[in-house]
Amino acid sequence: MERTLPKPKGIVIFGFLLPGILINLFIIVIPLILAIYFSLYKFTGGIMGDFVGLSNYAQLVKDGKFWNSFKNNLVITGLSIVGQLGFAFVLAIVLQSKWVKFREFHRTVIFLPVVLPAVVVGFVWTLMYNKDYGILNKLLSSIGLSSWIQPWLDDPGIVLYSVTAPIIWQFIGLYLIIFMSAIQNISSEIYEVAEIDGATGLRKAIYITLPMLADTIKVALMLCIAGNMKIFDNIFVMTGGGPGDSSTVMAQYAYNVSFGQFRLGYGSAVSIGMIILSLLLVLVIRRLMGGTNR
Amino acid sequence: MKRTYKMLSAVLIGASMLLSACGGNNAAPSGNAAAGSGEKTIELTLTNSWSSTSTQAVDVVRRKLIDEYKAENPNVKISEETLDNASLKTKIKTLAAGNNLPDVFMLLGSDARMFLDNGLIMPLNDILDEDKEWKDGFIPAAFNDFDVDGQIAGAPIQMTSTSFVYYNAEIFKNVGYETFPATWDELIDALAKFKEMGITPISMGNKDQWVAGSSLLSALGDRFTGTDWFNSIRDRQGASFTDQPFIDALTAIKQLSDMGAFNSDINSIDHTQQRTAFYNGQAAMFLEGGWAVSSVVNDAPKEVLDNTHLALLPSVNGGAGEAWATAGGSGWAIALNSNLEGEELEAAVKLVKLLSGEKAANMSAELGDSSGSIATDYDKSKSTPLFLEYLDLLEKSKMTPVYDIHLAPSIIQVMNKGLQELLIPSSGKTPEKLAEEIQEAYENS
Repeated sequence: MERTLPKPKGIVIFGFLLPGILINLFIIVIPLILAIYFSLYKFTGGIMGDFVGLSNYAQLVKDGKFWNSFKNNLVITGLSIVGQLGFAFVLAIVLQSKWVKFREFHRTVIFLPVVLPAVVVGFVWTLMYNKDYGILNKLLSSIGLSSWIQPWLDDPGIVLYSVTAPIIWQFIGLYLIIFMSAIQNISSEIYEVAEIDGATGLRKAIYITLPMLADTIKVALMLCIAGNMKIFDNIFVMTGGGPGDSSTVMAQYAYNVSFGQFRLGYGSAVSIGMIILSLLLVLVIRRLMGGTNR
Repeated sequence: MKRTYKMLSAVLIGASMLLSACGGNNAAPSGNAAAGSGEKTIELTLTNSWSSTSTQAVDVVRRKLIDEYKAENPNVKISEETLDNASLKTKIKTLAAGNNLPDVFMLLGSDARMFLDNGLIMPLNDILDEDKEWKDGFIPAAFNDFDVDGQIAGAPIQMTSTSFVYYNAEIFKNVGYETFPATWDELIDALAKFKEMGITPISMGNKDQWVAGSSLLSALGDRFTGTDWFNSIRDRQGASFTDQPFIDALTAIKQLSDMGAFNSDINSIDHTQQRTAFYNGQAAMFLEGGWAVSSVVNDAPKEVLDNTHLALLPSVNGGAGEAWATAGGSGWAIALNSNLEGEELEAAVKLVKLLSGEKAANMSAELGDSSGSIATDYDKSKSTPLFLEYLDLLEKSKMTPVYDIHLAPSIIQVMNKGLQELLIPSSGKTPEKLAEEIQEAYENS
């Protein structure tokens, strides 16, 4: 027996969609079109400048600082994939084990940083890295490792890793939740069969959980890449992209060019370049992963 | 009928919301009369960095004056936004990009040309000419930073050097220097001795990137290059950033950095935090502008304050610059949005006059700071010894241009970012490389 709901009128469907479409239009589509428009001009705010065609893009392709910031994005993304997805996967499996107590509590605590504003996280970690009263250096010296103390946010050689740590820490919880819910969907019979065959924890993780989670991991990977391509606020608060350009990411560079140097036309071109590169990266990764399935 | 009424009221409500949103820049509608008096309410937006928790005279004085203005002009409603210095620079630039500047705001000298060229702010020439007393009350040189081809971009609210050495005489005495070293080599020698004693020679907080530019390079650069070189750079008369004297100045900074003269967290603390180590007696000196005098007087412990004195950077071997000179100027001014008119403009002009005029100067002087106007009448007995020392030094020394006030933002950003790297011993940034980068930005701007 089939029950059919009365088919809503077109105007009703449209009415329900309208708010979403409007929001999308105003905060994504229109700014994007404006950015493309500005990127074709030499624009410094106020009066519109001269039309310069694609010369901003020609300059962008040759801009070593832009490519350096793209490289920084790639490093952060690489570390985040290993750190966030890796940690989250291990934690998800550990939290799934029978002997873990206070499972809900752990989950909540690990998830908590995800809902903190990035600015707060940035400030807290800046304090933790502080040379004189930062908890990190205090901790190191109290356990006799004072030789490990570094100018965490001051040395161009390590600053990129120092600013990546809070990003990894903050988002482990997000992937943990995604993985845990996916693990709960794996039928327990598969595990029972494996146990009868004598599979232990580690084997179960590698041969059952990992393959069963493949699709979820792909989604998580995409989220992770997309999130890290547009990373900005943590780093802006902690170092402002410094010292020099050593922790400048693409979004920070677009910001510097637009609002530091007041070259809004070129800044728009940087933003568009950022979108193109992120899209390309996601497409390439999808192609690579799709290859194993089909 | 009922339906039409509903529609009509919806349209009216929508329209009134739109109107009130744009109302900020126009005279308020006449229905909006202030209670009691028949006068109209005038709304002004004001953006500044005069924090109520600050101890700097420039902030304290402006806070008092704004309260005074509010009390005297009940029909003017000031919606104020107060940010810290670095955020203010960012915010003003961002608002300017969107053509959305506040009615009255603090303008940085380096933005003046661009804002005037883009028609975002009002040239103050006519307003100044109308009020001779106000105009003549300013320190004549204060307008230098805001004079764009004869157009005055703002009313200067300070006139000070951006580079003084605040040093602890007690610590210097411990390594055998009764007075502040007079030559660069002596200074290096003293710094090396502090290093041995475990004291930070120079405490610097350069996270916001302007400190090294304004307080160190602008003054030290002039020692090597002389002011003519900078004027030639500014007017594009042939000088280049790759000229040897400028490279020498960068090399001197590199020398300081290589010998470990700075604290290791130089790039992660800011200019107010750089004073902390000095207050604790853990640092021998720090470099900052005259605006810090009032803060040092308020915040430093007595035993440190008593030993704190002011000096200029020492002269260098073979440098073209004068010894009794340091980077300085007005730097910040109050500017008016170009779309102010009528009563709003009147109210705004009144506010600008109060904040930049003689009264502000007198109040500043009592607290230990100089304003854009000449202080005429203040109680000298209230001034602290450090402030008198500061006034004396200010009087003796010639002001040379502050790089980040006179150069375009695109050059400054390259310069300041590069300085950050130069200040880290391990970065591998060479003075020559940095000079080339600055020159490239200069040629492209």
